[in-house]
Amino acid sequence: MSFTHLHVSSAFSAHYGVSWPDELVAAAAGDGADALACTDRDGLYGTVKHVRACLAAGLDPIVGADLAISDGKGGSSGRVVVLAHGRNGGAGYHALCRVVSDAHEGTPAGRGSKRGHGPAVEIGQLARRAAGPDGRASGSGPVLTVLLGPYSDVGQALRNRSYAQARALAERWRSRMPAGALVVEVASHLSTPGGNLSTAHAVRLFKLAEELKLPAVLTNAVRYCREDDAATADVLDAVRALTALSKLPDLQPNGQGWLKSGKQMKALAREIAREADAGAAGARSLLATTAAVTDRCRMDPVGDMGYKRPVVPEASVIGIDREPAAELVQRCEDGIGRRFPGIGGTAELRLRDRLSHELSIITRLGFAPYFLTVAEVSKMITGMGVRAAARGSGASSLVNYLLNISHVNPLDHGLIFERFLSRDRSTLPDIDIDVESAERHRVYQQIFDRFGAKRVTLMSMQNGYRARGAVRDAGLALGMEEGDIDGIAKQLWRFSARNFREAMEEKPELRGFSAQVEQNRQLDLLVDVTERLDRLPRHISMHPCGVILGDETLLDRTPVQPSGLGLPMSQFDKHDMDPMGMLKLDVLGVRMQSSMAYALEEIARIHPDKAAVAAAGHHPEALAGGPDYIDEGGRIDLEAVPLDDEPTYELIRSTYTLGCFQIESPGQRELVGKMAPRNFNDLIIDISLFRPGPMKSDMVRPFLEHRHGWAPENYPHPDLEPVLKETHGVTVFHEQVLRTFDVFTGCGLAKADEFRRLLGDASAEPAVEEHFRGKALERGYTAETVDKVWNTLKAFGSFGFCKAHGAAFAVPTYQSAWLKAHHPEAFLAGLWEHDPGMYPRRLLVAEARRMGIPILPLDINRSSDKYRVERVQGEDGSGGKLGIRLSLAGIYGMSGAELKRIVRGQPYDSLADLRARAKISRPTLKRLGQLGAFDELNRTAGRLGTASRADIVHHLDKPPVRPVPRRYEPIEGQLALPLGDLELRNLKTQLPEPTTLEKVKTELDLLAVDVSAHLMASYAPLLKELGATPAQDLLSLRSGTDVLVAGIRVATQTPPMRGGRRVVFISLDDGTGCVDCTFFHEAQEKAGPLLFGTRLLLVQGTTRRTGPRGMSLQASNAWDLAETGTLPLPGRSQPEPEPGQPTLELPPRPMLVGLNISG
Amino acid sequence: MGVFSESIEVVCSPAGQPIRLVWQHRTWHVAADPVRWYERRKWWAEELRAERGRGAGLVDYEIWRVQARLNSRSALRTFDLSHQADSARWRMIRVHDAAQRLSA
Repeated sequence: MSFTHLHVSSAFSAHYGVSWPDELVAAAAGDGADALACTDRDGLYGTVKHVRACLAAGLDPIVGADLAISDGKGGSSGRVVVLAHGRNGGAGYHALCRVVSDAHEGTPAGRGSKRGHGPAVEIGQLARRAAGPDGRASGSGPVLTVLLGPYSDVGQALRNRSYAQARALAERWRSRMPAGALVVEVASHLSTPGGNLSTAHAVRLFKLAEELKLPAVLTNAVRYCREDDAATADVLDAVRALTALSKLPDLQPNGQGWLKSGKQMKALAREIAREADAGAAGARSLLATTAAVTDRCRMDPVGDMGYKRPVVPEASVIGIDREPAAELVQRCEDGIGRRFPGIGGTAELRLRDRLSHELSIITRLGFAPYFLTVAEVSKMITGMGVRAAARGSGASSLVNYLLNISHVNPLDHGLIFERFLSRDRSTLPDIDIDVESAERHRVYQQIFDRFGAKRVTLMSMQNGYRARGAVRDAGLALGMEEGDIDGIAKQLWRFSARNFREAMEEKPELRGFSAQVEQNRQLDLLVDVTERLDRLPRHISMHPCGVILGDETLLDRTPVQPSGLGLPMSQFDKHDMDPMGMLKLDVLGVRMQSSMAYALEEIARIHPDKAAVAAAGHHPEALAGGPDYIDEGGRIDLEAVPLDDEPTYELIRSTYTLGCFQIESPGQRELVGKMAPRNFNDLIIDISLFRPGPMKSDMVRPFLEHRHGWAPENYPHPDLEPVLKETHGVTVFHEQVLRTFDVFTGCGLAKADEFRRLLGDASAEPAVEEHFRGKALERGYTAETVDKVWNTLKAFGSFGFCKAHGAAFAVPTYQSAWLKAHHPEAFLAGLWEHDPGMYPRRLLVAEARRMGIPILPLDINRSSDKYRVERVQGEDGSGGKLGIRLSLAGIYGMSGAELKRIVRGQPYDSLADLRARAKISRPTLKRLGQLGAFDELNRTAGRLGTASRADIVHHLDKPPVRPVPRRYEPIEGQLALPLGDLELRNLKTQLPEPTTLEKVKTELDLLAVDVSAHLMASYAPLLKELGATPAQDLLSLRSGTDVLVAGIRVATQTPPMRGGRRVVFISLDDGTGCVDCTFFHEAQEKAGPLLFGTRLLLVQGTTRRTGPRGMSLQASNAWDLAETGTLPLPGRSQPEPEPGQPTLELPPRPMLVGLNISG
Repeated sequence: MGVFSESIEVVCSPAGQPIRLVWQHRTWHVAADPVRWYERRKWWAEELRAERGRGAGLVDYEIWRVQARLNSRSALRTFDLSHQADSARWRMIRVHDAAQRLSA
């Protein structure tokens, strides 16, 4: 008889457990156990991973949770372990899910038990769940077992030797719980005799059980897998209590809570029984009862938990009343009429062929309801007036295209259905839908309302410790000073905690810190402790986009807890969806969609009709007054815009793609510059190439060489020409890998996708290789050809990109570029408003300046709470240009309520009017003045020699006038006398108008945007002296010229590179454009701490032409531009800063750094 | 009485329980069932390193409380012995005044 551990907390018990479920399972299996329990704290966070690991290791899984019991008055009375009985059609598992949800009900989201208001369940409720589905004890007995152990109220009373109280509490438990559900848990960590978790403590529980004739099991209250992990548990306890280890009152007594072997547990049983004077019989009885409880809790993953059995909402809920497959066919037919009006001939044949192929697979798998559900959601969202588009491999499906879920025609781009779904895959496919970020919550709420609260939950995600958090918490546990920890965390945050020691040895920028560690013992310990915390789950949070849709049994199969959004969230994360057969939809809020929606609204608002829009956007004249995609009122239907607009591709080729979706990063701009996309398919290829795989392996270079005709295309075999033609012989797409497999082995596309997935898997790949070679040779290909093709597959198979993903992404990429090309003002207004993309708002404002779009300053009457397009009167009184008016929403220190009042009360004819009706605070009033919001009011105040902005601010700074008595306040609706602003008119003109530099400084302080001029303008004299070259002039230089450039750092990237040595890309904005600087190893050494730490940089390097429109800089040295004393000014060894030359700094804010493209 | 730390030799039974110890050149025979427990260490204050994979003995150490006598006629003394699992060293850390019984 092997021993089974029934009380085990995995790492998914946040801040409590240390070891991952599969580590625990492996240890148990290695010891010869045949079952193992996972009883995480407060929920089933690790349960599914536990079940998966057990299945793989051949163990029976036992599932449960370690729950707090509520005393009915908001406090907790101990904790118990609840185990689900198995092999009862899921009755035990369902009860477990429900009771966990019960415990979380009413708790504030995100508040763990460390704050004392954590989840807890009331005994009566637990008893009802334990009894069975109908809440009362039925003939078949309870469906849950409750373990009363050392942490229960009984156990705690016994710890304090309050025997009478313990007995009373135990009796109360016995009377409330259904017969047979209550079991006593005996556990000893062999701690100091008499103390918590000592053998003596265990013996008291043992004897109490005997006395009350309750069964007793033996556990080890496990929190970690190995003895060594006990220190990590200590640290987690300290972190959970937010107290240093040295001050922690209730530390674990020792480190004996590990997954001990069966042999050790049996010895423990004997030790406890001996001390209880129960002898060998007592030990035997403990172990036998443990085995008995184990037996009744063995789970059948399929029968009890629905393991791997997909469940979708009921047909009636999706809104269909006939057979789902028939409904799907009909809807696709309708889709053909909509998407392909008038199609005929071979095109129609091809279409219908593909459609019937897809439908046969879908119906065979029984997934018609799934597609109908997603279609329903998609329709619901667009019905709300919200932009929605599917992303990912879902674009491979014609059915999706016909159902309006995706907007890419797979036939146009050779997308393969099997990449998304095939008859050999029994798991539900993943469909992700991008929606406007600003509308995301509204969309979720609508989904809940539409499908009903018992069929929908949000999804959770586990957030693991990353370096910075790990350092902070490790420092806290060790009792270090917060300031010291902060400094260290800042240096180490870029690295994974696990590899600190390695990083300290390698990275030049950590040399200083490394020296510190050598000298400071505590720092050494800090590094060790931090490494222990690496990647452990830190807290659970709402997954930003996952929505789970099921039928009415959903809440029987997943426990839920509050999400913070007012909607419940499943405790399962994305890795648990497939195993639990749950339909998960990712509804992603994408800011670019919000930006584009905003832009479309602005276009419709600013132009009176279709003709005006067509004229403004220089749209081609189609038949009778303008293109189809603009309606009479001037609304553009972005989905109807054809994908072959030449000005759009011209813009993309120019690399001035700041603000465009996906192609605005320095690396992308370089690629786009080299590749020069001409059509939509080129865009797809560009997006697909810009991935770690292709960038790392040598895919891009040969592709570009072939494309530009610098090297002849070659195909390993003519049979592959049709497959690889679009990428000039280079294998880029998953779809090409699939077709290659099919061509060479005849395996069919479904099998090919399976092969593709196995590439890169060291254990599975050899079998694939063998099959490939065998079949290919059989089909008559030469050994040399087979070799060549296999090597390509091997190299690119796991790196290639799914073209459908690329296609789905290319749509908004194209759309954003189209908007920038035709309606830049509205587009930029959308960007400023919703702030998508990687760059700070100020850079997007600078982009408007570069494009010659007037940036209209803050004005108390003309600015609203959004960024708006505004017509600027030409000097000659003509219609003039379109500019963008700044929004009042960005002002530092202004409250939301103030903003609302200001906007509501517009327009104001005087400061007094503003004060009286908007009732804003004096600081806000002053800031508005500083930003020039009253300049226009001042100008129209109508007097000669108007006061300066500084005068206004000075005036506003004065102590306030005594408030007007109530009876003199204006009545609602009373108009003011049109006297204009008397206050401003009577202002004393004393102070000079602030200089542009001063204005910009104020703007940066209060708006974080340099409006009146580019921040770098203040450095112009210094840059001239240094001999720096403006970004816009670089293109005219010869490649290989030595230059100095300067600017604000706007992007720092360390993408994975071929050869493994780190390369750092830093982009600088100097007001005339962006310079992309490349720092190889030597330059990194020279730059040292400046590499990641400075805002304003001066960089020396050599120009490097990257394409017809691209020039980058290979850096050799760098300086902090703000440290004028260190700069290489000509003719000076130790230059002094010029007095009276003010330069500007960015306000202190988090750094604008850190993009790692990871695979 | 006497709390200190002195290296000793211990002989254990096959089940791992001490049966004999040599302290200050004399051999004591363990006379009653010993009690053992694991005592916590303040590793964060005492240790230079706490790296992963360090093994047992970082967070706690084993203590055996034995009652032993020199020969069948001498008095029982109670000793606390510490056992470092990772180094298999035994140390005498406490000698009690008179025999003590621990009650549960």
